[in-house]
Amino acid sequence: MTLIETILAAVGGTVAMAVFGIVAGLFFLGVDRKFAALMQARIGPPLRQPFIDAAKLMRKENIVPENAIPWIFNGAPILALASAITILLYLPVGSIMPVLGGAGDLILVMYLLTIPALAMVVGGFASGSPYATVGAQREMVILIAYELPLAIAIIAIAWRLSMAGIADPFSLTTIAANPVWGVVGPVGAVGLLILLGILAWVTPAELSRIPFDAQEAETELAGGLLVEYSGKNFALFYLAQAVKTIVMAALAVALFLPWNLSSFVAMAPAVAVAADFVFFLAKVLLVVFFSISLIRVSMARFRINQIVSIYWVWLGLAGFVGLALVMIDAILAGV
Amino acid sequence: MDIVATLVTGFGFWNPIIWLAVLAVALVIAYLIWLTGESSYKPGTEQTKPYLSGNPEPAKQDVHVGGGHLYWGFTEAMRGYYDRIVPLHTGVLTDYLLWFFGIAAILILIVGLI
Repeated sequence: MTLIETILAAVGGTVAMAVFGIVAGLFFLGVDRKFAALMQARIGPPLRQPFIDAAKLMRKENIVPENAIPWIFNGAPILALASAITILLYLPVGSIMPVLGGAGDLILVMYLLTIPALAMVVGGFASGSPYATVGAQREMVILIAYELPLAIAIIAIAWRLSMAGIADPFSLTTIAANPVWGVVGPVGAVGLLILLGILAWVTPAELSRIPFDAQEAETELAGGLLVEYSGKNFALFYLAQAVKTIVMAALAVALFLPWNLSSFVAMAPAVAVAADFVFFLAKVLLVVFFSISLIRVSMARFRINQIVSIYWVWLGLAGFVGLALVMIDAILAGV
Repeated sequence: MDIVATLVTGFGFWNPIIWLAVLAVALVIAYLIWLTGESSYKPGTEQTKPYLSGNPEPAKQDVHVGGGHLYWGFTEAMRGYYDRIVPLHTGVLTDYLLWFFGIAAILILIVGLI
């Protein structure tokens, strides 16, 4: 593909992924709220409630506080949404391979994940509010905290694929096409289960959800870094949150649950794409339930220093154990 | 060197130009969504004052988070580590050089043994 063709595909892909990310993301936020309500024996809001919330926010006053730096305050939500959309272009969706699969790998995705969070930090500091400043400070700390276990999980998978003689182990196209479970033996499978658990615990922090939402903490910081945001600025952060939900779920699916229905059942190509897409959404539903809804309903918020201990000490250690098991597995397999 | 080429490191790869092009398109999309929203508010009224649960706003310097406090949660959680590491930073150049040569010697020994 020439550069022009790549750029044209990228533009078309960006528009398509923006629509998909926002619509599917808002839908899954609704699903998460429904799950949480059912677990708390409530009826809960309808699935379309996040769409209603976003539409209502767009019609509300967009207050810019007198202490804020207006262009940064208004620019941060736009950057947060835009950067979240770009990550989707590097991730496979069902049997649809990533639009930019050849232009960026897993390490790039890991670093792109920090941009929406940094946009929130910048917006928080630009709010000129003490609550927002403390919230932004906490977001920075959380960002550093979950980097270590996330990096361990990613590197372990890519390293094992590389040891199995698979070329381009960091490419998401490669990872999606070669499920790592098929490469490892029983010891490696235990290691991978540990790493899967780690990714499930990184997801709520990436999405600022309970128990890792110390940066917003409604009961102590009154919303933290988002306290001064309202109207369309807040709506854009909400949409960015929706897109990030799909991004994190798609990442978990690509790394640990990459199978497609079309690999098991023979079907026409057009049907296969649709069936794999529906199957992908089912896997996203699974990830949303286990790593967002279930965790946030069953736990209370951690303090900021507890969050760092959990990620750097406990999940870091668990990650090294998982990595060691994957390495032992490679040695046992004689590679 | 081709400025639009994909950077390949042997294992990883990425193309910054394509990412920037994609980001530009995504920024336009996000900006268009932002433009469709309501822009008005009431400047200079109660609604533009910082929300502090009804408390008076402290002086700016009292609520400023300085660079030294930016990573507070991190340094607090890792206090056991920092309590040992910080005193080692004496500010004396010869101490730092001693550490540098000591660690370099250990590394050379390890590399030599392997």
